Amino acid sequence: MLISFCLNGELKKLNISPDRRVTDLLREDFGLTGTKEGCGTGECGACTILADGEPRLSCLMLAAQLEGKKIVTIEGLSDGQKLHPVQQAFIDYGAVQCGFCSPGMILSAAAFLRQTPEPSRDQIRESISGNLCRCTGYQKIVDALEAAAKIMQEE
Amino acid sequence: MVNKYLYINILENNLKNVLRADLRVNSKRADVFCIIETMKNQIPQIGSSFPRNDAAAKVIGAEKYATDYYPGNLLWAGVKRAGMPHGRIKQIDISDARKIPGVYAVLTRKDVPGTNRQGPVHKDQPVLAGKKVRHCGDPIALVLCENRDTLEKALSQIRADIDPLPGVFDMDAALQKNSPLIHEEHGNGNILSNLVIEQGKGEKGIDECDFTAQEFFQVPMQEHAFLETENGVAWQDPGGRIVIVASTQAPHEDQDEVSYALGMKPDQIRVISPYPGGGFGGKEGATVQCLLALAALHSQGRPVKMWWSREESFAAGYKRHPARLHYWLGAMKDGTLHALHCRLYYDTGAYAHFGEEVMTAGMEHAGGPYRIPNTFVQGWCIYTNNPISGAMRGFGVTQANFAMERMMDILASKLGIDPLKFRLKNALTRGDKNPAGITLTHSTGIRDCFEQIRHHPLWINREKWKSRAGLFKQRGTGIAGMLHSAGYGKGLPDGAIAKAEITKHGCIRIYSGIPDMGQGNAATLLQIAGEELCQEASGMELIQPDTDKTLPSGSSSACRTTYTYGNALIKSCRDLKKRLIHRAALIMLADSEDGLALVPGKVRHLLTGEEVSLKVIAGMMQAAERISVCNYLMPVAKDMPDTGKDFPPGFPHILFSYAAHLVYVEIDELTGCIEIKKYLAVTDAGRILNPQIYEQQIHGAVAQGIGYALTEELLLEKGQILNPNFADYYIPCALDIPDMDSLSVETTEHSGPYGMKGIGQIGIDGPLPAMANAVKDACGAEISQAPITGQYILNKLQQ
Amino acid sequence: MWGSYPNAQVYAGGTDFLVQLRNRKRDASVIICMERLEAFKGVQQQQNMIRIGACTTLSHVLKEPVIRKHIPVLATAIRRLGSPLIRNMATIGGNICTASPAGDTLPPLYILDAVLEICSEQGIRHIALKDFIHGPGQTALMKNEILSCINVKIPQKYQIHHFEKVGKRKAMTCSVASLAGLLKLDHKGVIKGVRLAWGAVGPRVLMSEKVERSLKGMQLSAESLENAVQQGTEIFSPIDDIRASADYRRKIAGNLMRRLVRHVQPDAGYQIRPDTRIRQPENI
Repeated sequence: MLISFCLNGELKKLNISPDRRVTDLLREDFGLTGTKEGCGTGECGACTILADGEPRLSCLMLAAQLEGKKIVTIEGLSDGQKLHPVQQAFIDYGAVQCGFCSPGMILSAAAFLRQTPEPSRDQIRESISGNLCRCTGYQKIVDALEAAAKIMQEE
Repeated sequence: MVNKYLYINILENNLKNVLRADLRVNSKRADVFCIIETMKNQIPQIGSSFPRNDAAAKVIGAEKYATDYYPGNLLWAGVKRAGMPHGRIKQIDISDARKIPGVYAVLTRKDVPGTNRQGPVHKDQPVLAGKKVRHCGDPIALVLCENRDTLEKALSQIRADIDPLPGVFDMDAALQKNSPLIHEEHGNGNILSNLVIEQGKGEKGIDECDFTAQEFFQVPMQEHAFLETENGVAWQDPGGRIVIVASTQAPHEDQDEVSYALGMKPDQIRVISPYPGGGFGGKEGATVQCLLALAALHSQGRPVKMWWSREESFAAGYKRHPARLHYWLGAMKDGTLHALHCRLYYDTGAYAHFGEEVMTAGMEHAGGPYRIPNTFVQGWCIYTNNPISGAMRGFGVTQANFAMERMMDILASKLGIDPLKFRLKNALTRGDKNPAGITLTHSTGIRDCFEQIRHHPLWINREKWKSRAGLFKQRGTGIAGMLHSAGYGKGLPDGAIAKAEITKHGCIRIYSGIPDMGQGNAATLLQIAGEELCQEASGMELIQPDTDKTLPSGSSSACRTTYTYGNALIKSCRDLKKRLIHRAALIMLADSEDGLALVPGKVRHLLTGEEVSLKVIAGMMQAAERISVCNYLMPVAKDMPDTGKDFPPGFPHILFSYAAHLVYVEIDELTGCIEIKKYLAVTDAGRILNPQIYEQQIHGAVAQGIGYALTEELLLEKGQILNPNFADYYIPCALDIPDMDSLSVETTEHSGPYGMKGIGQIGIDGPLPAMANAVKDACGAEISQAPITGQYILNKLQQ
Repeated sequence: MWGSYPNAQVYAGGTDFLVQLRNRKRDASVIICMERLEAFKGVQQQQNMIRIGACTTLSHVLKEPVIRKHIPVLATAIRRLGSPLIRNMATIGGNICTASPAGDTLPPLYILDAVLEICSEQGIRHIALKDFIHGPGQTALMKNEILSCINVKIPQKYQIHHFEKVGKRKAMTCSVASLAGLLKLDHKGVIKGVRLAWGAVGPRVLMSEKVERSLKGMQLSAESLENAVQQGTEIFSPIDDIRASADYRRKIAGNLMRRLVRHVQPDAGYQIRPDTRIRQPENI
């Protein structure tokens, strides 16, 4: 099946089995290994990507569902010149330990902060409640997102 | 203070570990790696919260974990597992599986060369089971396929004819005289190990006590649940060497384990360890490594990839030992602890793994951070047909500390003494003997930890907070003390060999032999190098382990990595510094090295201001000169209790971190559910090298401890895990962990780099006992098991 | 499409379906994804009816002002379902058709007397939600029919919209027991109307005329609720499973009713207001 969609700002056209899992498509066919797999059942959020700006679980998406969509993976979040404020804040506030959950977490959070410019800490926690992290205990992630929210407001 | 980074071509670092040109690399991402910088021009120094070196690559998705290696022409490997807890293998029929198009090979026991025995300590675990299966996850066949879909099909076509044997699923049953034997050849029934620590009058001391308490505790099996499951890639190079890229905590040890299992020479095996996506002990000891090596021996040079699904990780990965703990604790009426008697039972499952070591660690810490002159600690480590328990953060101490800290509250209540005062009265100080009989000659900050709690507003204002509980809520507070050993302990060399290099381009490169699985040792080592050599972040790099390049430095575990490798690294850096200064003197024709100093990128003659760049100096040095290799061995206890002489290597320890935790909880009377309202952790970490990384470790450990305390429990029925997925095994999400206050007591650990000591594990030992004590405070319910679910509490409330 | 593939299975969000496929609980050689069928998406208010397209994602339902204003009990339940990621993909129709005893949208939809619109090649039929679900995973959906729309009449004058879910974790957790409630009080606090529905304590959502009758005409108080709890004990038929025991579920199902007294506690910070507000018990 021929599908065409936008991936990290580039138009892609490919012939693909429509039921190929999007996580595998991204990682294996496009070599974009930033999108991770932690469970394969939508429970952990490590596979999060943005589809038309909305965070989604790529392990529960099939290739056909990409048709016509604007997909952004972690590799496409920054503009190539500057890190996204969430990425920068993750570095500055110590929100990264093993880092395996970070791509998914960052994408979920980036989309949320765009919609909710002045979130409370509880709202931040709720926004990333589908992204499991085993290393950090979440606190520095929340710190980072609080800071990133302020920077995004100023920009 | 916000700092920014510049990382150009982060992949360069990764490419250094890449052997084959056809290992796929997405070169387009190089464009994405332009990031604005200022931090480049700062020296990572001890004591500063210098941002971690590994963070930037991870936040842009460029860091390649083992899962991210997709070499060309690869085969996928998958394991057929027993599916039953105990049985004798009669036959494994692979003929149908072999016929499926796309199946490259199907291997069974007979294809395994060497001993077919793996295990980090005891070699009792088969690579592929030949005669017997001992737990549901036991591997019986290995399939190699062209793609993952075929793998599933092939695995389903393998028919195993296994005669079921009666299974042993709890420790009582395992200890029965005529219990079925898990390991017939073992020679001691199902008891892997049974040891004793006895001090003073032993259990007779209990009879002398004015007040005693007794209780029985039970704790469940816990899952590491690292986000990156067990996985790796392996191939055989044209010279016949096996190369393994694996998510592992101990690549150098893996070399040995694979070589023993498959009858190969260690130098015929190369192990590369990218940053693991979490480990917490579950990647210590071979997981995929022997299987991958076996596959690579049969794939005619083609690379083989294996990546355990989450369900497989649950079924076949290692666990925290479930335990049963009987405690008798006694004190005199003035509040001095006088005697401890306890019996600790650890269920190690089908194979030994680190079972004995976990048990001895639990025994060593069974009396907590207190002075107890008379102790009798008995430990049993028992085989069952349950999944394999191995190393998990806390390593036997988490279990025992629950019991001990509950006992402290129970006894305090009997004595009519405030629980914090009771702990303070008995807290160890430097020079005391601990309950295992070892004199504490190193930093011992537990008293200060308790004092910080005592002076903290959260402790002072707790009654006021409790009195304001709302409708249907009951509030309580609880504390717990803890200690946690650092290092392997006596009998095992806890050593590291640091390798630091000044590259031809004048950059400092550290070859770390120990993986950084998230704890931040890589970044801390760079800080040490920065401190010693006065170089900026941009002038330094650290590579993750590769047994061809890095040197054996022990595993990423046991709160030892920064301490042991750091000490070795300091030596290497000072050695390198001397050479650089000496060479600079020659170049500058200085007649003395005294007036020369290392500054970023250069050596400067202080008097004249003359400088020579490190690049120039390095350019003049021979390759061997540019590398400094230095080793360090951690000190061990000079004393050993008599009863300890039977102990395996790893007991006793001489170095401990200490902590005290305080928690505020609120119980809902209608549902029994607990909410944590406040959490305070005060830790003695020696000198803190990077406050941000220190906090990361405490937060992470406490969060895992909260999971252990409230929601995590592997449910077993006849050896089968009933909740082998994230839908039914609940690790905390962002809404479940409160904001935590993490304070520190900075003692100086003179043996550690700049006075530090490791604190990777201690945080996990506090939440369960602190919360159990808080629940008792809130509603009177005596908590003696985990997890403390709503169901458990509601039952207690209604009793 | 069904013409060419009569045995095709349909899904919308995939958060249940694709997981079942992976776990081999379903076998499908042809699957049809409905996520882009615009005709089945969106929320509209038509006078006193709210129409929710079955393929509307839960996130979308949650954002709709019409839902938050008129049927906040549904919004509260959705907010506790899964996580933002799941809600971005999972659909309200999917939650209904999966028909899990613990489906979180179900108790609110039951007390709202939701009516389902089902369409097929033969046309459209309507069926009340409470007649649609027969048991765990079993619905009245016939072969080659799809759920297209959920119709809800806006409840008149119910000031209190209540939802509570009990689970082991604060997100991504299957309900162990849940209670949805609508209460209509007069100016003295006397219950003029009450609708209650429990989830996860029986094979289907449970409602009880007996319990509702026992509350009607009574002052909303701890005593009247205690009486209601006694009336309700025998309606619950929970199971023992790995998440909780039947005994625990039964106890808390009754207890969840006691929580309703918060709506009148003078010091709990809630007041009965004529306009409808989302009422959430503290710390849920």
